[in-house]
Amino acid sequence: MLLTFRRKFRFPRMMLFVFLAAVGIFMLLPIIFLVNNAFKPLNEMFLFPPRIFVQNPTMYNFEQMFLHSSAGVVPFSRYLFNSAVIATITTLAVIVVSTMAGYVLSKHRFHFKALIMGTVMIALMFTPETVSIPRYLIVSGLGLKDSYLAHVLPFLASPVAVFLMKQFIDQIPNSLIEAAKLDGAPDMYIFLRIIIPLTSPAVATAGIITFQIVYMDVEASSLYMTKETMKTLSYYAEAMTQNIPGVAQISIAAAIGLLMFVPNLIIFLIFQRKMIQTMLHSGVK
Amino acid sequence: MSGKTSRRRQLLQFRWKEYGMGYLFMLPWMIGFVAFVAFPIGWSLWNSFNQVFITSEGFKYTWVGLSNFRRMLVENNAYPIILITYLQEVLLIIPLILIFSFFVSLLLNEKFPGRGWMRALFFLPVIFATGQVIMELFVQGAGELPFMEQYNLDVILRQYFNESTANMLLGILGKAVIILWYSGVQILIFIAGFQTIPKTVYEAVRVDGASPWESFWKITFPGMLPFIGLNAVYTIVDLFTFPFNPVLEIVRNNMFSPTTGYGYASAMAWLYFAIVLVLLGITLWLTYRATKGRGELR
Repeated sequence: MLLTFRRKFRFPRMMLFVFLAAVGIFMLLPIIFLVNNAFKPLNEMFLFPPRIFVQNPTMYNFEQMFLHSSAGVVPFSRYLFNSAVIATITTLAVIVVSTMAGYVLSKHRFHFKALIMGTVMIALMFTPETVSIPRYLIVSGLGLKDSYLAHVLPFLASPVAVFLMKQFIDQIPNSLIEAAKLDGAPDMYIFLRIIIPLTSPAVATAGIITFQIVYMDVEASSLYMTKETMKTLSYYAEAMTQNIPGVAQISIAAAIGLLMFVPNLIIFLIFQRKMIQTMLHSGVK
Repeated sequence: MSGKTSRRRQLLQFRWKEYGMGYLFMLPWMIGFVAFVAFPIGWSLWNSFNQVFITSEGFKYTWVGLSNFRRMLVENNAYPIILITYLQEVLLIIPLILIFSFFVSLLLNEKFPGRGWMRALFFLPVIFATGQVIMELFVQGAGELPFMEQYNLDVILRQYFNESTANMLLGILGKAVIILWYSGVQILIFIAGFQTIPKTVYEAVRVDGASPWESFWKITFPGMLPFIGLNAVYTIVDLFTFPFNPVLEIVRNNMFSPTTGYGYASAMAWLYFAIVLVLLGITLWLTYRATKGRGELR
């Protein structure tokens, strides 16, 4: 569409690039702020109006953080381990479960399909806060307290992931699946060899979304876990920023804010490359 | 006779295989869903018609019918107002997000050097648009656009525009950060959507002498309608479950308050969800209507 347009003019292409770069930098501001904030000395943090860039970078905030974390009973690495295990397992499980559900919702016939889609839509609306008390009763009723399962299971039935998956799988032509069926491919083969590769952009998207929801979640740690050794990094970060009195809190919050952000960024960088590649070369029509 | 029954059995067997596969694939999700989503939701609906007290022996329910709903609409002086203001705000933001992300994804679909990086950049906000990072950022004041005060944008705008226009522009600028941050997934979905429109169609209409402008409105836009619908749904969900959502904050405050309790808070949440559901219903219906006649996609 703009293809012909571009051939005629070289100048608009430059303008396009400049415009996108400007908006992009604007979008990056919060991240730049976050990074800079972690290295600000105390007096710069209280400047008004707040500045984005740091003038005299220090490691003071990180020193404060390590000072406080070394005073804790449970070592920092334990929280890190918990978070890593839980986030990995949950993300993988959600991807598998919701791709399966999305596949049959989109390409198979069975009873109550419309009903299930309806409930998915309704469930999209419910934030965990509003159902936290009934959820707590279920988790404790099933005897899942103080186990990793209590971290994983409540996130498993993610309506957002199923919704995204179903919409993406809808775009895969039925003829492709019919062709595979005529060639005698069993359902499992179709699912693994046709559906999964073709939906990898959606898988990546759902993966990123799930990872960050799980990684940032403090509800499971604060409600279902009574043992300190079973809690996650995000809970620890929140507890650190809330329970420490005075000015130290702000500098620790700045340092922890950056530390919490880094894994998210890494996951993003890993997934996004794959996502963009698959988007460019995908057979989805 | 026997041939007929065996054929029927075969059909049944085939049906059963097809259906069974569906159920089997659905099962893990259904179990998780019923246990951790459907059942708690049902419970909270039941709660909204009850007065719930948490005592040392557990929960105490007293059936009060619709009185929770009446009380929060008539007696509560904050809830209805906040609900309506927030609704207005969201109704303004949703089209802005959709238009912005559609525009950006249209540009990102072009070929230019560094496109991969640019796409990554626009998707980046997704990773901090939820949960604790956004909380931290807002607490530290990053969401407020510090340079708006630094460069007196406020005064400049008021100088050149009249009062109401300036206020509107400022309102939009104040929400610019939210609009930008909440466009990541939408941009991605749109870009993926553009790939579904075959290149050959564009070539065909170009040969027929259509201008880029025409081919956008005749080919790109109709082809993108299902994706616009999908994005509208996604945006609505995203905004209504936003962590700073003032409505949810009220709900949370009332949950453990001794005078109101969990039942009252559930009723508040349910009214809120009912409104959102109506909004979603309208969106889906419009998408369905818009795409039906074209025989394209579903």
